Amino acid sequence: MKKDEEFMPKILAFLCNWCSYAGADLAGTSRLKYPPSILPIRVMCSSRVDPIFVIRAYLSGIDGVIVAGCHPGDCHYQEGNYYTRRRFAMLKKVFEETGLEKDRLLLSWVSASEGQKYAKVATEFTGKIKGLGENSTKNKVFL
Amino acid sequence: MTKVLIMNKNTEQGVLEFLKFLLENKKVKGVFSLKKIDKKGAVAYSLITNPKDLEDAVPFYPLMPVNAGNLLSRFTLNGPPKEPIAAVVKPCELRGFIELIKREQGSLENLLIISSTCGGVYPTKLEIDGTVEKNLSKYWDAVKKGQILNDIRPACKSCEEFTPYVTDITVDILGKNDLDKQCIMFLNTKKGEEIVKSIKADFSDNKIDGSKLDNIREKRGIEKKKLFEEIEKKMNGIDGLIQIFGKCISCHGCSKVCPICYCILCEFESSDSEYGPSNYETELRKRPGLRVPPGTLYYHLGRLTHMGISCVACGACDDVCPVDIPVSMIFKKVGESVQKMFDYIPGKNIEEEIPLITYKKDEFTEFEG
Amino acid sequence: MSKFKGAVITAKSGTEKTIIDMLEKTIDKGVFDAIIIPMRVPAGDSFAYVLIKDKSLLNDASVLPPTMFVQGAKAVSSVTRLGKGKTKIAAVMRPCEVRATIELAKLGQVDLENMTIISMDCPGVLPSSDFLKDPEKNIKLFNEAAKKLDDTIMRPVCQICNKSSMVSGDIHIGTLGAKKDAFFFISNSEKGEKVANKLGINLKDNIDSWQTKVKTISEEKHEKRKKAHKELKTKVGGIDNLVETFSHCINCHNCMRVCPVCICRLCYFDSDKVKHPADDYLERTESKGSMRFLPDTTLFQMGRMMHMSISCVSCGACEDACSMSIPVAQIFSMIADETQALFDYVSGRRLDESIPIVAYKEEELHEVEDAND
Repeated sequence: MKKDEEFMPKILAFLCNWCSYAGADLAGTSRLKYPPSILPIRVMCSSRVDPIFVIRAYLSGIDGVIVAGCHPGDCHYQEGNYYTRRRFAMLKKVFEETGLEKDRLLLSWVSASEGQKYAKVATEFTGKIKGLGENSTKNKVFL
Repeated sequence: MTKVLIMNKNTEQGVLEFLKFLLENKKVKGVFSLKKIDKKGAVAYSLITNPKDLEDAVPFYPLMPVNAGNLLSRFTLNGPPKEPIAAVVKPCELRGFIELIKREQGSLENLLIISSTCGGVYPTKLEIDGTVEKNLSKYWDAVKKGQILNDIRPACKSCEEFTPYVTDITVDILGKNDLDKQCIMFLNTKKGEEIVKSIKADFSDNKIDGSKLDNIREKRGIEKKKLFEEIEKKMNGIDGLIQIFGKCISCHGCSKVCPICYCILCEFESSDSEYGPSNYETELRKRPGLRVPPGTLYYHLGRLTHMGISCVACGACDDVCPVDIPVSMIFKKVGESVQKMFDYIPGKNIEEEIPLITYKKDEFTEFEG
Repeated sequence: MSKFKGAVITAKSGTEKTIIDMLEKTIDKGVFDAIIIPMRVPAGDSFAYVLIKDKSLLNDASVLPPTMFVQGAKAVSSVTRLGKGKTKIAAVMRPCEVRATIELAKLGQVDLENMTIISMDCPGVLPSSDFLKDPEKNIKLFNEAAKKLDDTIMRPVCQICNKSSMVSGDIHIGTLGAKKDAFFFISNSEKGEKVANKLGINLKDNIDSWQTKVKTISEEKHEKRKKAHKELKTKVGGIDNLVETFSHCINCHNCMRVCPVCICRLCYFDSDKVKHPADDYLERTESKGSMRFLPDTTLFQMGRMMHMSISCVSCGACEDACSMSIPVAQIFSMIADETQALFDYVSGRRLDESIPIVAYKEEELHEVEDAND
């Protein structure tokens, strides 16, 4: 078990192309600092994220998963993020019912101009995951 | 108040007579029902076009070899029949069929749906050694009294949705003391009312005894609570899941018999889910070893997220599992909790959209970070 | 049989422990990077194949577990179907699982290049439903029965198996005909010899006592097999008996999915070809008065038989998985014997032997042609 200070979590972030990925980019160009814990994956819309992507990542040992999209009402494809929200709520419920750590999952709305919000979300969530420690599925054999 | 058809004879006999009437008077071209299909008495769903063959039909036999929702979907997959067919199915099978129709896997057109309040079915392995046949009178005794038998499917013991929705005709069975003497059929739709014209029977207006059924529902709820508690103890995180699914052999039988799982090529059998050499090399860098074939928990958790919203808790998955994993309780518990989030009862209302393909502009804000 | 090279290995701490120690040594010396071998699952109610990298896991591994929950060839195929990678792997499996693996290699489902296959004399395997009744007790029962060569508690197809010591892999552990506290390390290939070399095993010993004992047992089993098949044929032969035998079948297709050689991602019997319009089904029904729905259960069973019989290794995985306790393995195995014998073929016996239905001779089998042709 690594000590909290040494533990740099691996957090997968599904970022929608039009809003949250651009927001993350803006955080970068603005030279905003946040922990090197985030592994971004760009999707065209947050509703592209199938719950099984999250499950696969979780079982492979990822410490946290962020699904980020446009604010409700601002989706580039009009409705995508509404579906994302329902799907994410369902996924969290499945995690809760099966005793898996639902707090390792985060849904966040980050617009293209919200570079600061992205950095804030990344920092806060990394802190939260550090508190939870490493995901124990990392070294399970009988998955 | 619903129009009711009354025959003064044994309920099953009454229904068989009614089906015979339908066939002989060409009101339907065929009947879909459970039937004894050979001399040894094996029971399977059958299509019946010759009224004489109704002699071996056992529409309310306490067995579900296959969820009839799957069968009705296959029957109507390439379009409805040209002439009407009467189908006698159990409530959860009907709910499964309605969920499949919402997914464009079938149609109600030209089907006369007959169902009943349901006392549950035995696990299929009890048919093989003749136990079901031997226990028939004990079964019907318990059904008359509205009691829960000990050896029916766990999904049935804990089922609170034992009254069918979306039927043309509902046969009064559960908790009916005089099952042997009287057959009561509730005609819920115009189609149902029309089709019985000219049959020799009495008619009246009545409604189903709500308090009797509420009583039974309460008992089933207690059983459900007990079974849910047992499964909750086991589902305590990743280690709990590893324990439960340790003996899973990834045969995917549960998915194949499930009425909701209709995908021709399941995600978990596609090349997307296959591990290649680089996947294994990555995994072996992390872990001391990896069970192969990989992805057992991935499959079950994935299936929960893909079909949990529509799980009708029929219990077919339990029966097909070669290693006796309590799949139906796991999926019922998780499925119900997901469905409750959206106030959704799968298969209840054909107009109601599956919750994951619709939305409200303001909801679930508590899930946003 | 004379191509075998063997060595007598003393096993003071028991055969299984000695083999595990050897496997640990192969990891230490870099002979193998990983080993596919059964391990008891954390809940204790089953055994599962695990791709082991860390040799400490080998302490919980079982060379000859009492059950075959997953057919070993399926486990191996899931590791190398998409190519061999850089990992050098050893797979420890029963002879029928090895044969299925070799057969799958011919079907492009397994890459054997970086794989070394180790088998052992097999006493049979318990039906999983029996095992599950009391796992702890049944592990003991199995081990005792294995020692005494008592097969009465094993799968029905195991009880009449005459290939329980067939060597198709690279290395075989011969326990039959060995002295007390010893076993034979038998190499069947260059790969096997290399491993022996690295382990410091000198393959110069006489293995006649193993070969003799194996011959005796397989001849006994062959007689038993012929008798059992004769009885089975009268029981299930003919259309009426066949239909009755499969009357409980619910078309769950478990048998097909656990079968190592049923590899089609979309089986014919799940495809559009068997999905007919409602009125077609009704027309068929009218000609008989009533028809089981879905129909064509016997067609599925016989069709699957036609498609895979030539590659069937008689492992019995299908019968274990059947949710309606139909003796599928016994029937399919009986027919497989005959279809393979037509071509003097044994499924998975040798890698360099083509599967007969994808090979031909220009002059052969004239006896099945019309006499006038």
